[in-house]
Parts: sequence; C-alpha cells; structure tokens
Amino acid sequence: MVELLREVATVAIALHVGMLAAAVWRIWRGETVADRLVGVDLITTLLISILILLSIIQRDSIYIDLALALAALGFISTIALAKYLADEQMF
Amino acid sequence: MTIEDFRALIAILAILVGTFFSLIGLLGMIRLPDVYARLHATGKIGLYGAVLLLVAAAVWTPLGWGRAIFLMVLLMVTGPVTAHAISSAAYRIGTPMKNPIRDDLSAAEEAPAPGD
Repeated sequence: MVELLREVATVAIALHVGMLAAAVWRIWRGETVADRLVGVDLITTLLISILILLSIIQRDSIYIDLALALAALGFISTIALAKYLADEQMF
Repeated sequence: MTIEDFRALIAILAILVGTFFSLIGLLGMIRLPDVYARLHATGKIGLYGAVLLLVAAAVWTPLGWGRAIFLMVLLMVTGPVTAHAISSAAYRIGTPMKNPIRDDLSAAEEAPAPGD
C-alpha cells in the first residue's frame, strides 16, 4: 500500500507538471490580457499542488511551509496585478 | 491491515480525487470560450484539487492538522477573492463576453423597461 501511494503520487506529480505546461500555453496564447492573468494565477495554484505532492513523496512536511508562503505571495501578486489592470496604477 | 496501510489508503483516494478535479478544471480552462467562464473552471483547481491533496498530506506526512487546516482556509478564502478581482478587472477594461444572455452591470439594465 505504501509503494502504491508513492507510485500514485509520482504519476500525479507528472500530471501536474503537464498541467503547468497547459497554463504556460494559456499565457502565451492569451487572446485578452485577463486570460494571461488567469494563467499566472493557475501557475501559482499548480505549484502549490506540486509542493504538497512532493511533501507526500518525501514524507517531509517542510514543503508545506513553502506552499504556505507561495499561497500568500500568489494572492498578493494576483490582487496587485488585477488592480493594476483595472486602474492602470498600482496604489 | 495496519494503521499505516489505512493512512496510505486514505491518502491514495484523496490524491486520485484531487487530481481528477484538477484535470477537469484544466479541461475547462482550455475549452471554455471567454475569461469569465475560464475563471469558473480554474476556481475548481484551487479549491478541490489543492485542498484534497492537503487532506492526503495531513494524513500521510508528519504535518499535523493545524497547519493543514490553516492552509486549507487560506486557499478557500483567497481563491474566490482572486477570481472576483480578475473578473471585475476584466469587466472594467471592457473584455467582451461570448454569447451573453444578459449583462446585469451595463447601463441599459439600469433603465426601467418600457412596459413599466
């Protein structure tokens, strides 16, 4: 069961890296500037998921702290970019 | 079946369901027509995908439920707030909708209908 968990987590991490490539494709193709912002937000969320899966594979909780910092930073940066998009000024 | 196998089983189920939700959300982000619909799809990745993976991590790793629940609440609060900020910014710079039925925020909706 423990070996199966490690294999499932490895396959899931490969899938999440593939999803990261799709998010980069969304930023590259875009169509509108808000689509690119959706892609940036999605990359932050997927990196959080990848860090949580790494902590499951290594059985080490230090990656969860990294995911916590990344969640807080991603929230602030997405809000700041959306405000810059709407008001054309940061503050 | 030891307690270790039971923890591993719960973690496997949570990882499978969370990855399934992430794949569905990513399919929606690729296929849906405009920004507002794509935001609806990517919200599923932040909520169900990451939170279910966190359940697996809290069961399997020596993390403890305290930090796991803190990160879950952080993801659950910031996900809808970022989606609302992006869609509000997109509406204010005039990003067009594909096949809109009605627009509640436009000035035409503010005026009373002729029949009233």
